[in-house]
Amino acid sequence: MTAREAVTTIGQPIITAIFLISLFLGIISIYHILSNDTRAYIFAKRLRNVDTLLLFLGFIIISWFHLRIYQTIELVYPAELSNYLAQTTGARITTMRFAVPLWIETEKLYFWTLCISIFLTISNVRYDFLKTRMTAIFSSSLNIMLAAFAMITYFTSNPFREPLPGVHSEITNWYQASNMGDPNMLYQFLIQMYFRLTYFYNSEYMWTHPPMLFIAYASLVVTFIGCVFMLFRREKIFDRISYSHAKVGYLLLTVGMLIGYPWAVVAWEGKSWWWDPKVNGSIMIWVLYSAYLHTRIYLKKRNMWRATAILGILCFLALVFTYLLTYIAPGIHAVTQ
Amino acid sequence: MKLTMKQKTYNFYMMVVTSLVLTAIGLVCLYGIGYYTVTTESLPKWLETPLYGQYIDSMNLYIYPFVVLLLVVLGLCIPKRIVPRQALLTSGAGILVLTIILALIINIEASLGFLLGISILIQTAVMVLTIIKWGGLTFEREGYFIQIGSTMLHLGFVIFVFDFVIMRTSGLHLPVFWVATILITIGTVLSFYPGEIGRIMKNVRTSP
Repeated sequence: MTAREAVTTIGQPIITAIFLISLFLGIISIYHILSNDTRAYIFAKRLRNVDTLLLFLGFIIISWFHLRIYQTIELVYPAELSNYLAQTTGARITTMRFAVPLWIETEKLYFWTLCISIFLTISNVRYDFLKTRMTAIFSSSLNIMLAAFAMITYFTSNPFREPLPGVHSEITNWYQASNMGDPNMLYQFLIQMYFRLTYFYNSEYMWTHPPMLFIAYASLVVTFIGCVFMLFRREKIFDRISYSHAKVGYLLLTVGMLIGYPWAVVAWEGKSWWWDPKVNGSIMIWVLYSAYLHTRIYLKKRNMWRATAILGILCFLALVFTYLLTYIAPGIHAVTQ
Repeated sequence: MKLTMKQKTYNFYMMVVTSLVLTAIGLVCLYGIGYYTVTTESLPKWLETPLYGQYIDSMNLYIYPFVVLLLVVLGLCIPKRIVPRQALLTSGAGILVLTIILALIINIEASLGFLLGISILIQTAVMVLTIIKWGGLTFEREGYFIQIGSTMLHLGFVIFVFDFVIMRTSGLHLPVFWVATILITIGTVLSFYPGEIGRIMKNVRTSP
C-alpha cells in the first residue's frame, strides 16, 4: 500500500512532465516542419532526449514498485491445501509470491512509448537527419509520433494514477479473505491465485512474449513513418531506415508470437482460443509484414516503390488495429476476460 | 550461379504471387475478426455451442487453399535453385493435381500432408546443398549466410504448417513446433543480418 502511494506521489509529477514536454515537442516539431528553422530542430532533439530520460526514470519507478510487490506479498498455502494442489497439479506449493511483469495493465502503452523513444534516440545517433530538408522533416515527424504516443499514454493509460488496478484488487481480495476467517473462501481464493500466478503473473511467457511484441511494435512505428515518406519521396534513405527497423520488428514479432503458442496450449487447455480475434489479428500483421519484406526485394522494379510503401502503411494500420482488439473485441485476449 | 534476366523476371512474378497470397490470408483473418465479434454480440454464449466448431472448420477451410497456394509457390521458388524451370513447372502442376485428387478422394488434411511432406523433402535437400556449397544452386540474393538463412526460414515455415495441419493431436506436436521455431528464428537472423554474422564468424575463426 505504501509502495503504491509512493509510486503515485513520485510518478505523477514525472508523467505530467512527460506530457508537457511531449506537447511542447509536438508543437516545436510541427513548427520545424512548417518553418525549416534548424534551431527548432535542435531544440526538439533536446526535448526528445529529456522525454526519453523521464520515460526511463518512470520505468525505473515501475520496476521498483514491482520489486516491492514481490518482496512484501507472500501467499501462504496451508498444509492441507498444499497437499491438495500436489495431488491435482503435481506441484508442491507452500508459499507464492507475485513476480508481476513490467508491461501489464496500464503499463503496456507506457512501455511501448518508452521503446519508441529509445528507437528514436538510436536512429538519431545512426543517421544524420540534418543532411537534407526532407530527412530533417522525417525526424520531426518521428518526434510528433512519439509526442502523440506519450500524450495518449497520459490520458488513457497512465500507470501512475492508479498503479496496477487488477493486481491491487486481487491482493485486496486476499487480505479480505484472510481476515474474514472463512477457510473455504480463503482456500478457494488461494487455488484461484495458484493458477493466476503460475500461468499469468509469474510465467516466463509473460516476461518474454509481451515485451518482444512491444519492442517490435515500437520499431515498426519508425518503419511506418519511413513508408509514409516513401509515398511522397523516392529517396533511398527512407527505405533504408524503414527496412532496418522492419527487420528488428519482424524478427521480434515472429519469435514473440511463436513463443506464445506453447504457453497458450497449456494455460488455455480446453478453452476456446483458436481463431480468436487477437490470434487472427496477429496472423494478419505477420502475413502483411511478410508481404512487405517480399515486395521490398524488388524496389527498383516499376511501381514497386509505391506498392512497398503502401503495404508498409497498411501493415502498421493492421498492427494498431490488432493492439486495440484487446480492448474493443471479445475473446480470450480481451481485457474484460 | 548468377541469375539470367529470364530467371529474374520469373522470380519477380513468384514474389508478386507470394505477396498476394499472404495479403489474402490477412483478409481471411480480418473476416474472422469480424465474424467472431459480430457473433459474440448477437449470441454471447456461442463459444459453448457447436457454432464455434463450425466457425473453426470454416476458417480452416478458407485458409487452406491459400496455404496450398503458398506452398505451391514456395515449391516453385525454392527448388528452381536445383531443377530447370520447365521441369519444375511441369512437376509442380503434377503435384498440385495430385493434391487436389487426394483432397477429393480422402480429405483436405491428407492432401495438404502430402504436399507438405514433399515440400519438407525438397526444402531439406536445398538447405543441405546450400550448406555444403553445391555449385548448381541459384539464388536471388548473393552471400553464403543469407542463402542458408533463406532456406532455413522456408524449411521452418513448411515444418510449422505441417505440424499444425498433421500433428496437432500428436505427442510430438510441441517438439516439432520447437524445431520449426528454431529454424525460423535462426533463418530470419541469418537472412536479415548476414554481414554481421559473417563478421562474428570471421572473428571467431581468427581469434587464437
